[in-house]
Amino acid sequence: MGDFNQFFFILLSVVILVSAACVVLFKNLIYSALSMIGSFLGVAGIYILLHAELVAAAQVLIYVGAISVLVIFAIMLTHHRTGDLSLYFHKQAWIALPVCAVAGITLMVIMGSAAYNAVGEAQNPTDENIASLLFNEYAFPFELVSLALLVAMIGAVILAKKEKS
Amino acid sequence: MMKTAVLLIPLLPLASFIITGLFGKRYFKEKSQYLSVAAVAVSWLLSIYLIIQVERGEELSWQVYSWIAAGKFKVDIGFLVDQLTAVMLLVVSTVGFMVHVYSIGYMKGDGGYYRFFAYLNLFMFSMFMLILGNNFLMLYVFWEAVGLCSYLLISFWYTKQSAANAGTKAFLVNRVGDFGFGLGIMLIFVTLGTLSYSGVFENAGRIGSGTITAICLLLFMGAMGKSAQFPLHVWLPDAMEGPTPVSSLIHAATMVNAGVYMVARSSPLFHQSHTAMFVVALVGTFTAIFAASIGLVQNDIKKVLAYSTVSQLGYMFAALGVGAWAAGMFHLVAHGFFKGLLFLCSGSVIHAVSGEQDMRKMGGLKNKIKITYWTFVIGALAISGFPGLAGFWSKDSVLAGAFNGGYWYFWLVGLIAAFMTAFYMFRLIFMTFHGKPRDVELYSHAHESPRSMTIPLIVLAIPSVLIGLVLGLPPEDGHIDRFLEPVFEAVKGEAHHFGALDVGLMALSAGIGLAGIFLAWVFYIKRPELPEKAGAHVGVLYKAALNKYWIDEIYFALFINPVRALGRGLWRWVDVGIIDGFVNGSARFFRGVGMVLRPAQSGKIQAYMFSMLLGLLALLLVYLALTI
Amino acid sequence: MTPLQEYLALSMALFFIGTWGVVARRNIILVVMCIELMLNAINIALVAFSNYSPIGGGRGEVFVFFVFALAAAEAAIGLAIAIAMYRLKEKLSVDDLDEMKG
Repeated sequence: MGDFNQFFFILLSVVILVSAACVVLFKNLIYSALSMIGSFLGVAGIYILLHAELVAAAQVLIYVGAISVLVIFAIMLTHHRTGDLSLYFHKQAWIALPVCAVAGITLMVIMGSAAYNAVGEAQNPTDENIASLLFNEYAFPFELVSLALLVAMIGAVILAKKEKS
Repeated sequence: MMKTAVLLIPLLPLASFIITGLFGKRYFKEKSQYLSVAAVAVSWLLSIYLIIQVERGEELSWQVYSWIAAGKFKVDIGFLVDQLTAVMLLVVSTVGFMVHVYSIGYMKGDGGYYRFFAYLNLFMFSMFMLILGNNFLMLYVFWEAVGLCSYLLISFWYTKQSAANAGTKAFLVNRVGDFGFGLGIMLIFVTLGTLSYSGVFENAGRIGSGTITAICLLLFMGAMGKSAQFPLHVWLPDAMEGPTPVSSLIHAATMVNAGVYMVARSSPLFHQSHTAMFVVALVGTFTAIFAASIGLVQNDIKKVLAYSTVSQLGYMFAALGVGAWAAGMFHLVAHGFFKGLLFLCSGSVIHAVSGEQDMRKMGGLKNKIKITYWTFVIGALAISGFPGLAGFWSKDSVLAGAFNGGYWYFWLVGLIAAFMTAFYMFRLIFMTFHGKPRDVELYSHAHESPRSMTIPLIVLAIPSVLIGLVLGLPPEDGHIDRFLEPVFEAVKGEAHHFGALDVGLMALSAGIGLAGIFLAWVFYIKRPELPEKAGAHVGVLYKAALNKYWIDEIYFALFINPVRALGRGLWRWVDVGIIDGFVNGSARFFRGVGMVLRPAQSGKIQAYMFSMLLGLLALLLVYLALTI
Repeated sequence: MTPLQEYLALSMALFFIGTWGVVARRNIILVVMCIELMLNAINIALVAFSNYSPIGGGRGEVFVFFVFALAAAEAAIGLAIAIAMYRLKEKLSVDDLDEMKG
């Protein structure tokens, strides 16, 4: 069983990282968006590996379902010019690549070498745990987030609305 | 059901505040009162329901929500409903409801009509939360919230300079007290590591004697500010600049009682420290007689009542300080009702004579405004300790508590203050309602107030008469003593046997009240020339009292003027000479640097992001170098 | 059982790919997409910590839900800005949004 777990983890990691790289590297935005969906699905798989089925379901619903559609709509509502590479990539991109790589590896080293004292046997919080946390201990942040969503909705409507001319 | 009630009581006024505050100006206008009054009416009904539940022996201690949890520092939002809360609820909700009704008539036609009701609702919310909370931090937060409402309502007519100043003064003087209160709460947390009432009171015995005295004195400093005790009493008389319903609600019946409530709530702490208790009693007694003596000579009808409030609050603290906890709360209830009534009556008088507040211009109004007159007389008799009325029972239990506790000197001073109280109240009545009209113009236009104002007067007159009989009988172990027993169980003194001596004390305090009334009658009805003669006789004392013992002037000389002078000096020499030179020099320097660095502010977001990334990398490398 | 460190390594890798995308690409819609990738990376770390901690009791997952909600809000606003910008300037390059330069 343990080997299966490891196998799926590596498989999903490859899917996630390759499609994430594709998001950045594709010239065509539609391709980027499609790879982003692939990456999101891979993350959902990781959640299942971590026994967080509820989060995985929400990931599929929210990211793959809602946000991706939103992105694709935005791509289709706008017109994109084509041309040479400098039109797509910022001139600092090639300096930034090694910086990102070094920062990432440094952080991995730090995280890998840290002793996680509190880490014990994997625990699987039930959906009931999460729900009761969300509506008791985190009720106030929960309400605030709903307010933030409302504000974002109104803001998006106003921003994207056609100006009266 | 009880939980629902506890939640709805504060939340209804809050909802009404938000709705009225947001939409009042444009949509409700002169119809703003409906929602506000309805919300407070429902809160009142629910409060009565809660009180009945508590009376039946129900109690509620309910953690609703964990507000702050940061390591050891943990604060919950929770409610505590016990007998003490019930007593406060009774006063706050009843007087609050009546004042809302009264304001419909009193504030009619005012430009800020909606604003007034919105503020009143906000105040009701804060006050309910203050008394329903179950920890010191909630107490502190809503303590400040009622202070804010008080500020907003004192300077309600903010275009009037004196009102704006009075609001600022109230705020500043309260800051002095709240500073101590805040320190006291911090000291509690540092000592015990918790702020919930139950946690603090269970462990009160573990605190060292020095620390607990410090805690109590700091807490009492807050109470002195909010409940206007000497030397922080100066804001309350000035607060009369606000509309009269506000004076009645906030500055007589509810908010100023918050200090008394806080000391009573902290009784397990105060009980541990004799020094603190003695200070409470001393300050209370001194304030009682001090403010009463100022009240003797004031000519503004509301100022007399304001000093009377300060004086009566002093009584409550005296009672708490000598260990007569239940008596203090009893006086709080009785005073809440009759002083609320008196203020509303004075508002009705002011309304009748179109805004005049100087009693020297009134007189003979008794036939013109009958309902106001009779309710005013009931209120005045109640506060003067006329046998049978509310103030008689409560004041007597305070004085008996002092006497039986062995503090005969406090009892004596309290007795003298009671005499003064009766005198100035009836001086007010005789000057306002009896005799010949002094200003014919005002008199001829005088008219009774509309029904929305007179009905609250009649309603509040009922508890002013009856509450003493309901709560105070039998005198040796009244209903309120038994009701509050679970709260003050741990801090109760030894039982006192009611004997002939107590009957004598009762008769004495009744007699002294009647004597005060009689003297006022002699001075202002029988021989009206006497006051001037007497005033000339004790010229210095009279002048001192009329000028409120120059306390304000002393504060000006001691604190305000030196600070101003210091400020002026700093401005002339330090600011213009040194700092301006420095500032101008550095401005030139930074302008030069800015010209050099300006290109960095390119407006290119991704360039910013990249520099952030570089910073992150640098931090990570430093961390790595330090740990490995 | 996959060790916690590997999940964190995956999270880091995804995060910095996203960061690189934000810094490197010109198109504002793509920048929004890369921010979503970064948020996903953080979510992996949160769920992993929550799962491996004996005292978490699902708190990490609760935070993930908050991140979801805020990510949705951010995407809605970000894309609305992109569309408004396109309408205004006919361009989608982030560098064209430089009205605040010094």
